[in-house]
Amino acid sequence: MTQLVQALVLGLLIGGVYALMASGLTLIFGVMNIINVAHGALLILVAFITWKTWSVTGIDPILLSIVMTPVMFGLGWALYKGVLSRISGTSPGMSVLLTFGIAITIEGVLNVTAGNRFRSATPSYFSQSYRVFGISLPKAQVYGCLAAVLVLGLLYLVLSRTWTGRAIRATAQNASGAALVGIQSAGVAALAFAIGTATTGVGGSVLSVLYPFFPASHYDWISRLLGIIVLGGMGSLAGALVGALILGLAETLTATYGSLQWSTLIFYAVIMIVLLFRPQGLFGSRLRQDVMA
Amino acid sequence: MLTISGVYAGYGGGDVLQGLDLEVPSGAITCIVGPNGAGKSTVLRVVSGLLKPRLGTVELDGVRLDQFGTAGVLGKGVAQVPQSQALFPQMTIRENVLLGGYTLRRDKQLLTKRYDRVAELIPIVAERSNDKAGNLSGGQRRMVEIARCLMVEPSVLLLDEPSLGLDPISLTGVSQLVKDANAGGTTVLLVEQNVRLGLSMATHGVVLEGGRVALEAAAGDLMANPEVAELYLGGAPSKAPAAAGSTAAAAGSAPAARSGDASTKR
Ligand SMILES: Nc1ncnc2c1ncn2[C@@H]1O[C@H](COP(=O)(O)OP(=O)(O)O)[C@@H](O)[C@H]1O
Ligand SMILES: [Mg+2]
Repeated sequence: MTQLVQALVLGLLIGGVYALMASGLTLIFGVMNIINVAHGALLILVAFITWKTWSVTGIDPILLSIVMTPVMFGLGWALYKGVLSRISGTSPGMSVLLTFGIAITIEGVLNVTAGNRFRSATPSYFSQSYRVFGISLPKAQVYGCLAAVLVLGLLYLVLSRTWTGRAIRATAQNASGAALVGIQSAGVAALAFAIGTATTGVGGSVLSVLYPFFPASHYDWISRLLGIIVLGGMGSLAGALVGALILGLAETLTATYGSLQWSTLIFYAVIMIVLLFRPQGLFGSRLRQDVMA
Repeated sequence: MLTISGVYAGYGGGDVLQGLDLEVPSGAITCIVGPNGAGKSTVLRVVSGLLKPRLGTVELDGVRLDQFGTAGVLGKGVAQVPQSQALFPQMTIRENVLLGGYTLRRDKQLLTKRYDRVAELIPIVAERSNDKAGNLSGGQRRMVEIARCLMVEPSVLLLDEPSLGLDPISLTGVSQLVKDANAGGTTVLLVEQNVRLGLSMATHGVVLEGGRVALEAAAGDLMANPEVAELYLGGAPSKAPAAAGSTAAAAGSAPAARSGDASTKR
C-alpha cells in the first residue's frame, strides 16, 4: 500500500515537471501550427547555463530560473522575429525542418563550448528527502514540481485574464476570426513563441538538478514531450497537463512493479491505444480544418 | 460612401475579382447576389482587409482602406461577419463578444458600456453569456457574431450570407437585427445566396458575375427584373415564391445560362 502511494506521489511530482516542459511546446503549436522540435534543445541549453552558473557561483539552480525565464523570453522573441516568422503560413512540416536545424545548431554549440559529457547540478538538498506519513519525497522533486505548478498557474492567469492571453487564445482557436476583431497575428505569434520559450527557463533549470544531461539529451526530451502533447491533444494546455501526469505515473508505476525499462514502452502503448479511439488526442479539438472567412 | 474601384484580387491562381467597380451608398443596405463562386465573399474580404487586392482601391468617404490590414480597416469603422466560423468555439459568449471590442480594450468603461448595450439589444448574449460558443446553434451563432461586430459601433457592417443554415425564426431575428442596425445609421453591405430574402431586406441590389458587376439597381427593381427572376428567384417575378432549394439550384446553374442563352432556359 505504502509502495503504491509512494509510486503515485512520485509520479505526480515527475508529471508536474513534464507538464511544465510540455506547456510551451503545445502553446506554440496551438497558436502558430509550429512544431518546435528545438524545444528540447532549448531546455538542455538552459540546463547547461544553469549548471555552469551554479558550479561557478553556487547559486541555487532552481532559483536561477528567475533570471533564465526573461532571458529565454527574449531569445524566443528574437528567434521568432529573426527566423521562424519567415515560414509563417507554411505547413507544420516546414517548421519541423527549420526548428530541427535550430536544435542541431544548439547541440553543436554546446558540444564545442561545454563538452560532450554528462552533467548534473547537485545542490546541498540534492540527495535529501522529506518524510511524510512514511512516504519519502525527494526535495529536488518537490522543489521542481512547485516551480512547475507556479509557472503553470501564472501561464493560466495570463492566458485567461489578460488581453494578451485572450488574443493568444483567440488566434489559436480561429486565426481569421481573430484578425477580424483587430488582433494582429504577427505580434501575437511572436509573443506566444516568446512565452512558450520562456517556460524552458524554468524547465531547463529544474532539469539540470533532476536529470543528468549532455548536449544530445535533447532528442530524448523532445520525443518524450511530443509524446505527451500528442496524447493530450496538440495545442491543448489541459491535454499537456494530463498527458504529462500519465507519463509520470506510467514511469513510477512500471518502475515500482516491473522494471524502469518498460516505462517508455507502456507510455507509447497508451498513446497508441488512445489515438486509435481519439485521433485528435485526449483534449484535442476536432482535427483542425482551416477556417475561411 | 464606400467606393471600390478597379479591384483585381485572387488567391494566387488567377484573379477572382476582375476589375470590380462598385459604389455602396452610405446609410443604405446594399445586397450583392450572384452564382456560387462569383466572388461575392471575395469582395467582402477585400473590403475588410483579409485579402489585399492586387490592383485597385477601396475607399471609405475618400479615405483609402486597401492599404491597411484588418485591424486598420476595423479602426476606420468597418466590421465583417464572415460566411462561416467566425467565433472562438472554446470561449464563452461573453468572451467572444468582449473580444469584438479588442481595439477598445484600453478604455474599460467604454467596453463595459458597449457590452451592456449589445447584451440588451441581443438577448442571447445575456442569456447564454457563460456558455461556450461552440455549443450554439447556427442561428444563435449568427446573432453572437453580429453582436461581436456591434461592439465597435461600426459605420459599415459587412455580412456574408447571414441566412446560411438558419431556421425561419432565426432568419426573422437576424434580418430584424440588420434592419435595426441600419436604422441606427449603419451602412450595410450584404451578400446573399437566398436572393429573395437578401433583396427584400436591401435598398440596393448588385448582381455579381465572373468577378464583375453585371447589373446594379434599386433592390425592388432588381427583384422585378425578368432575368434576375428567371435566374435567381426560380421563375417570373409575379409567380409564387420559390422554395429555398430551387433558388440555390438556379443560382448554381447561372454561369452556364449567362452566355446569352438565358431565354432558352424557359
Ligand atoms: N481561400 C481560397 N483559396 C483559393 N481559392 C479560393 C479561396 N476562397 C475562394 N476561392 C475561389 O475564389 C472564387 C470565388 O470565391 P468566393 O468569393 O468565395 O465566391 P462566392 O462567395 O461568390 O461563392 C471561387 O472560385 C473559389 O473557389
Ligand atoms: Mg461566399
